[in-house]
Amino acid sequence: MSVTEEPGKPRNLRERLNVLQDRIYDRLFHNYVWQSIFRSGYPNTPRNQMLVVATNVFLHLHPTRIHRTHVKITHTYCLGGLTFFMFLVLTITGVLLMFYYVPSVDRAYQDIAALETNVKFGLLMRNLHRWTAHAMVILVFLHMMRVFYTGAYKPPREFNWVVGVVLLVLTLVLSFTGYLLPWDQLALWAVTVGHGIGGSAPYLGDETQIVVFGGFEIGQPALIRFYTLHVIALPLLAAIMMAVHFWRIRRDGGMARPL
Amino acid sequence: MAVQAQRQASAAPARPRPKRSREEEVLVWPDLVFVEFISAVLFTITFTILSVFINAPLLNRANLNVTPNPSKAPWYFGNLQELLLHMDKAWGGVLLPTIFLGFLAAIPFIDRSRHMQGVWFGTKYSARITIITVIYATVVIFGLVSFDAGEATGTERLTRWIPACAESAEDVSWPCLRDDVGAEHLGIVSTKDISKRLEFEVLGVKWPEDLDHIAWPFNDSIGDFDLGGIGLGSIHGWGGEHFNIPSIMAEQVIPLTLTIVVFPGLIIYTLFRIGWVRTRRDVLIVMFTGAVMAFVTLTLVAAFFRGQGQDLIWPWKIKVDEG
Repeated sequence: MSVTEEPGKPRNLRERLNVLQDRIYDRLFHNYVWQSIFRSGYPNTPRNQMLVVATNVFLHLHPTRIHRTHVKITHTYCLGGLTFFMFLVLTITGVLLMFYYVPSVDRAYQDIAALETNVKFGLLMRNLHRWTAHAMVILVFLHMMRVFYTGAYKPPREFNWVVGVVLLVLTLVLSFTGYLLPWDQLALWAVTVGHGIGGSAPYLGDETQIVVFGGFEIGQPALIRFYTLHVIALPLLAAIMMAVHFWRIRRDGGMARPL
Repeated sequence: MAVQAQRQASAAPARPRPKRSREEEVLVWPDLVFVEFISAVLFTITFTILSVFINAPLLNRANLNVTPNPSKAPWYFGNLQELLLHMDKAWGGVLLPTIFLGFLAAIPFIDRSRHMQGVWFGTKYSARITIITVIYATVVIFGLVSFDAGEATGTERLTRWIPACAESAEDVSWPCLRDDVGAEHLGIVSTKDISKRLEFEVLGVKWPEDLDHIAWPFNDSIGDFDLGGIGLGSIHGWGGEHFNIPSIMAEQVIPLTLTIVVFPGLIIYTLFRIGWVRTRRDVLIVMFTGAVMAFVTLTLVAAFFRGQGQDLIWPWKIKVDEG
């Protein structure tokens, strides 16, 4: 039914309701403010559907049309997309956690404990952050295996695979730097093991411990380093690399398909 | 300018793209966007439910004076922690992982064929060799881990036929294993025994005692420079440093040769002779699958089979001493 049609006089209740419905729809979606945000209505023609993908800032990562095989779930199992989605969830929950957390050895543990007990949904946010972080590590690993076993690294996508390897490392390091932040026994001793591994680097062991961990023991210098890396440096770097990663998928002709 | 254009034309061959007709296409909106949306919603719901029911761990406040036993790295670094038990620290913790990442990054530059991209297991036998390699790598890694924990797993029995060394340290011409005084004779309990307990003599040179203190070449001429003054304390000259050949053998040469050369080589050669490995892609499938399975197996061992003092133990017997 077109909303621009001149309505006749409603004859019964049903027609009255229809008129009401159209009016509400008009008020909601055909007003000046709404149309300043969304320039067209729901895209129900192929032309509009392509336009919405091409012109929307969030959707324009996609091409407007793709090959039939690429929407089959078993082709990718959505692993790369889900990894990115985990990153988004981690960003949102991470920002919320930052409101309540001070990266100081005197306060960090109490802050986490208080977050769990005194803050509404604090425990839920922390749990979500933790479990999605583990999921991201697993998903990025599975995504790498998917890309390998489908031969999707082959020319012209060689460099994007390398970008992917960098992103794998960034994901692991992001997860590892987050591990220390609760400042409990689990965090301290897990990172101490990592500290030992870093110290075993040939010739540069001491330097690694001083630069990365801030000393020969895990303390305030390590906590503030890990915090800064975890909340700004590494996510920023990961976001940049992801932008390159996604951009190159488009540039290299979308997802791989037999020649 | 023309030369450059010509060079570019010859250096970068035209990259063919697969053709497709309009009938094979679908529109991203709605077909793909909705799949993405639904999987995002499903994951959000799943993780919200998970987070309602399972709490993230929070132990006691960090205390440097109280060491839990065992202390474990986060699970995804458990594999590195596990490697440290079996070989030289620098190799297990830093160099081998770096080689692994370098190998990963190099894959597309080794296998440059465009053949069968974008399909699962593109070559004829690739699914088969993947499964075989998964089983092989798991068995090999579990085997090596148990060999290196000889007393717990009983693999020292395999080498018990090597005789015990005589009490007097003189007679070591035949290979023998030195036991603690009064202790029962054991075979090789871990690879470190090769540099510590195994003794033999070849051409008048005694293993290990004659070989564990070999001067570096140019030991004296390069001398004792030290970059500690500019903040690089661990970089210094070779003055006074020595090779410990038995320990290099046991902690570097043997573990690395086995894991990088012997076991991968064996499976690749066998599958090649059978005729299932035919292309570079196949070789890479074996190497990638093997490396990933080694990574996974070591992670599992570190997470579920390491008890106090990093002893190999059944998962249900692990007791954590909180310190």
